[in-house]
Amino acid sequence: MVQQIKPGQFVQLEYNGRLLEGLVMPRSLYEDEKHITLKLKNGYNIGLDSGKVRLVKVVEYETPAQPIEEKSYNEIGNGPRVLIMGTGGTIASKVDYRTGAVKPAFSAKEIVDMVPEIGNIASISIKTIMNELSENMKPENWSVMSNEVYKAFNSGYRGIVIAHGTDTMHYSASAVSFAIENPPGPVVFVGSQRSSDRPSSDSAINLQGAVTFAAKSNSSGVFVAMHAGLDDNLVAVHRGTRVRKNHTSRRDAFESVNDSPFAYIDIEKGTVKQENETTPQGKIKLMPNFLAKASIFKFHPGISESLANAVFGGDLLSIIIEGTGLGHVSREVFPHIRSAITEGKFVGMTSQCIWGSVGMTVYETGRDLMAMGVVPLGDMLSETALVKSMWALGNGLDLGSVMPLNLRGEIATRRPVEK
Amino acid sequence: MKMGFEIHIQLNTQQKLFCGCNPGEIDTKTVSFGRKLRVSSSEMGEIDPAAAFEIKKGRSITYVSGDRTSCLVEADEEPPHNPNSEAIKSAIIISNLFSAGIVDEIHFMRKIVVDGSNTSGFQRTAIVGMDGRFVYVENVIGISTICLEEDAGRLVEKGENGPVYNLDRLGVPLLEITTEPVEADAATGEKIAAGIGRTLKLTGLFARGLGTIRQDVNVSVGNYGVVEVKGVQKLEQIRKVLEFEEKRQNWLVEVSRILNERKIREADFDAEIVNLTDLLRASNSQTIQRLLSDQNALALKAPGFSGLFAKEPVPDSRLGLDLADLCKLFGFKGIVHSDEISKYGIENQILNDMSRRLDLHENDGFILIFGDGERTSRCLEMARLRLKQSLNGPPSETRMATDKGATRFLRPRPGASRMYPETDIITILVSDEMKASYRVEMKSWESAVDDIADKYNIPHQVAEQLLDSDYLEWFTEAAVTFKSIPSTVIASVVLQTFEELRKDGIQANKVALFDILNLVSKGSIAKEAIPDVLRESLSQAISVESVIKRRGLSSISQEELKKIVASILKDSRRENVQKEKIYGVIMGRVMKQVRGKIDGMLVDQEVKRQIEEEFRSN
Ligand SMILES: [Zn+2]
Repeated sequence: MVQQIKPGQFVQLEYNGRLLEGLVMPRSLYEDEKHITLKLKNGYNIGLDSGKVRLVKVVEYETPAQPIEEKSYNEIGNGPRVLIMGTGGTIASKVDYRTGAVKPAFSAKEIVDMVPEIGNIASISIKTIMNELSENMKPENWSVMSNEVYKAFNSGYRGIVIAHGTDTMHYSASAVSFAIENPPGPVVFVGSQRSSDRPSSDSAINLQGAVTFAAKSNSSGVFVAMHAGLDDNLVAVHRGTRVRKNHTSRRDAFESVNDSPFAYIDIEKGTVKQENETTPQGKIKLMPNFLAKASIFKFHPGISESLANAVFGGDLLSIIIEGTGLGHVSREVFPHIRSAITEGKFVGMTSQCIWGSVGMTVYETGRDLMAMGVVPLGDMLSETALVKSMWALGNGLDLGSVMPLNLRGEIATRRPVEK
Repeated sequence: MKMGFEIHIQLNTQQKLFCGCNPGEIDTKTVSFGRKLRVSSSEMGEIDPAAAFEIKKGRSITYVSGDRTSCLVEADEEPPHNPNSEAIKSAIIISNLFSAGIVDEIHFMRKIVVDGSNTSGFQRTAIVGMDGRFVYVENVIGISTICLEEDAGRLVEKGENGPVYNLDRLGVPLLEITTEPVEADAATGEKIAAGIGRTLKLTGLFARGLGTIRQDVNVSVGNYGVVEVKGVQKLEQIRKVLEFEEKRQNWLVEVSRILNERKIREADFDAEIVNLTDLLRASNSQTIQRLLSDQNALALKAPGFSGLFAKEPVPDSRLGLDLADLCKLFGFKGIVHSDEISKYGIENQILNDMSRRLDLHENDGFILIFGDGERTSRCLEMARLRLKQSLNGPPSETRMATDKGATRFLRPRPGASRMYPETDIITILVSDEMKASYRVEMKSWESAVDDIADKYNIPHQVAEQLLDSDYLEWFTEAAVTFKSIPSTVIASVVLQTFEELRKDGIQANKVALFDILNLVSKGSIAKEAIPDVLRESLSQAISVESVIKRRGLSSISQEELKKIVASILKDSRRENVQKEKIYGVIMGRVMKQVRGKIDGMLVDQEVKRQIEEEFRSN
């Protein structure tokens, strides 16, 4: 009898001498199979031990409605043409309160229905280019994004918005920054720290910010647009090579490191506040390849010799060290670094301090490392340096000369006093 | 009438339900920030039309976060932590107490709340027990659900630019105990609610203090709509609220009968909204010109409503007031309706023109508001709906209890709660061992009363009042701390003085209570001074010591008292006061001088002694 209880059935059950009615819900991956989840008529879910319930009758079967995936490219809204690319997760979604399921928006119409404000800023098209969780993104995905951005600019879009999970969004933003030289308009990555199925989600305001920047700013480059501060009005636009996720959960987790945010969007007023301008220095150029033969080596006291050996003696072609302070590692690591460089591998130095630049001439350790051939990478973020070296490897560039150069605003010669 | 209760009672856990904050701490600083909530347009209005309108307008909600009482979780900047295990345990204990069936897994849900009181836009709530019972004398009242849920933010002000909430209350664990509807009269209703409340208090699992127990009362007459009355904080209110609602709802049944008798049909309510601005501009009535200002005057015909707006079977129950409250949701200060239009001094000619434009016939009324824009039309559309509903008797709606036991319209009753699973919180297994062992030994109410009466040497009646009151803990602590002060004195402060202060909107405070008892126990001031000093201290937020300094209240010796009585007695000789009145006169004059400075008993003894001496020597 018990085995007959299946998700989607509206059932009457007997439980401890009580009669219960409700809809049998599917169980999530993390829930055991010993229990069933019943959605009661008052909307609550409860879990019952399936060994203790007796099925009285199945009142009716629900046929689960299949989500209709409308991959529509139709434009909707008024203003400059902006393409929103989906990479996975949900940009906007609504909840089916009957089943508790979260239904993501797929078509331009659905998104504009859910965030109608963007229809007044731009003429919106939408394209789902992949379906990956942020943590599962790989360098191949960066190539797909870059190719799609290139195609979109060539088909006349003014700006491009890429909706992305937040965990690795700054890696992807950095990757597309390098892969596309001289984009004619802004490419804006956007995500949300609070899922879009809740009334307090930041997804709508972030999306408005991203679309506003994509539609109104004349800047060439790749950016990340996310909530600034605790208030629901300001969205900060960061350079793709300068941005880092600095908090696990806050809305304003994304910050520009060693740089001020490139622009701010006032959502209520719909205005862009931007002090600098980046204009394309030539024709758009695509270099979309990445070779994942690079990694980050984070030095720490008591580092294991075998780990150092595996990293520097393995098949990696580029190792970005996150050194201590101004760019140091302990002497035990020296021989591993030396042999890697002798084998022709690239070894670059960034700092685990996150803020500030490496300065390898200040102490003897730094000078020794430089003498070995370790390349100081200034104030470049280690994540950016990693992505940049994968890109340089993928496109056959000489790392020794390309890595210390400022190509996409990733390295600065000066850092403002105010953080 | 039919009634049901939803009792919300605060668990006395050390931490909130989903984070490590302790709401009892004192903040040293606060930050505030503004947020907006979004609800997809398809479900707007189903929840709460007025709140949905506010959200659609993009009005922002301000939150105040104290450094001790709230953290990133309440600010909706960090996912909820695992539910507080003490709270889970208490919910299971209470489910057992009411013989409820306990779920094998607790699933937290998100219940959509759009008024901004929750930063997330929803309240987290879970069913722990179902289908229990409460045995009251010989009746058995069904307990349909026992839910564990988080409290909402505390509304600090309604604000022109949107509400302001403090996050100190947000996330405090509450149990919601919902009864099945029962057919009963107001007195029985009060007894049921009191019975459940007392049973809960006896478990010792709940916090005490004003606002720690809130009852929502669902009332209906006949088969008409269920009215949910929120915010009943004191037990004494319940009976009054029930009586009020019964009369009010019966009057609405009568209204529907009258409308039917007047042959009013649904279609009669479809008249267009009429602009009366030009007519009213011409009036010499200053009140009207002030209300009108530079706005529009828009009116809606209310077919058959003549005389029905102003009538009230009990004070504050008139339909006109309900409509005014409804319009307040849209930011209007009030409305003008046909039953009171004569008060505004509008010229007859204009009144006739208004009638003509509104197409009013015999028995027809109207409502009129002053304003512009979308909110005006939305407001009138909602008013139209309310008028139309009157054809069918009392509608389902949510009302708010007043201190006096009346109820005021709050909003239309929303449809079924919008709920979906809270995916940030794992489901919690409830083992058979937990179900079997999470129980509480309960003594009976009577023996709890006996215990207090015996322990503190106070009358039973006072002991029972203390058990019912919000201040039992303060009382017991004070009685133990200040052994030299009779317990009855302390009881009278927390039961009477605090109650009088509460009626005047002054909140009791434990520090002030202990400060003043300390001074009384040292003999620095007399117990008679307690009410006045407390009132001054609490109402002006100054310390008890400063009040005493300011008032020059410090005790006088018995020697000084003797002198004062003697001198007053001497003065009164010249007045030839009658013998039978002399005690009252002298006592009054002496007390005027020494009140709060010396024990009244001593004054009484001294006055009697000297009067007797005086008459003996004569
Ligand atoms: Zn907290």
